[in-house]
Amino acid sequence: MDASSAPFPVRHKKLSLDIQGNKTDIVICSYDDHFLVIATQIGSMGTTLRARKEEGVSIHPTFCVSVIFGKRDEPILVACARQLIEHISNCGSSLPLVLSLGLKDHSVGTLKGVVTAVIANRLW
Amino acid sequence: MAQGSLDSNGDITCPTSTDGESSASHVNAGLDRLRINAADENDDDGAVQITCFSDLSDDLTLHFQIIRLHKQIYAWIGCNSAKFGHLYAAAPTRPNNMVSVTSLLGGASDNTGSGIARRIVLKTGLNVVLACNIPKDSPMLEAAAEKKLVRKLIDLGYT
Repeated sequence: MDASSAPFPVRHKKLSLDIQGNKTDIVICSYDDHFLVIATQIGSMGTTLRARKEEGVSIHPTFCVSVIFGKRDEPILVACARQLIEHISNCGSSLPLVLSLGLKDHSVGTLKGVVTAVIANRLW
Repeated sequence: MAQGSLDSNGDITCPTSTDGESSASHVNAGLDRLRINAADENDDDGAVQITCFSDLSDDLTLHFQIIRLHKQIYAWIGCNSAKFGHLYAAAPTRPNNMVSVTSLLGGASDNTGSGIARRIVLKTGLNVVLACNIPKDSPMLEAAAEKKLVRKLIDLGYT
């Protein structure tokens, strides 16, 4: 029996665009307790990071970003996740982010392109 | 089945054929034109395909989301909710293609999804990243979810 009457509980958006000459597929999913963003140019998820806002009483929130799978020596990937989690927080959501970046190059232009495209198509 | 064509009135005409081989080749040509061979979907140079479906059984709703990348599968299994759950990565590893699984999120104390991830890799041979919020100590539910997911993967062309 299919639960076909209820809509699927996870919203998602899929887009494909060219970033610095490389075809990039981006998928954004919104779960109850996480956001998932996949940006790939290589056909696989690549390096996966987790970013979350830390509990605190301070006016300015702090964030914790860590690589959970893949390259751990690329700070620009961490910076990308940091920018996105801060944007999520500024939009009023406290949900953590799982970000997968499978990119051909880790240049500033590419990462900026990814951040811009994700923010333009955000689900938060 | 024989290849059809339109005559001057716009009606379909089918030349008859008693030769089994040519009939099969007509069928194959038709299938190629319709592109219903599932393998063709995966040849789309790196395109991402997302499949979402739900299944209700025994008062429980299982939600499945499959994101197909060119070289990897991401799957999410939700049990009655849209919580992300625990995240696992599994892949065949050298030297003898043995399957390795690791927990990425959620810790190693609850291994509900790791067995599912491992068996999917065994069946498909692809890298798999699986998120699963099935409660622990529910082997029947885990087996039912795995069965439905594997059946869908087979329908999508992974064997």
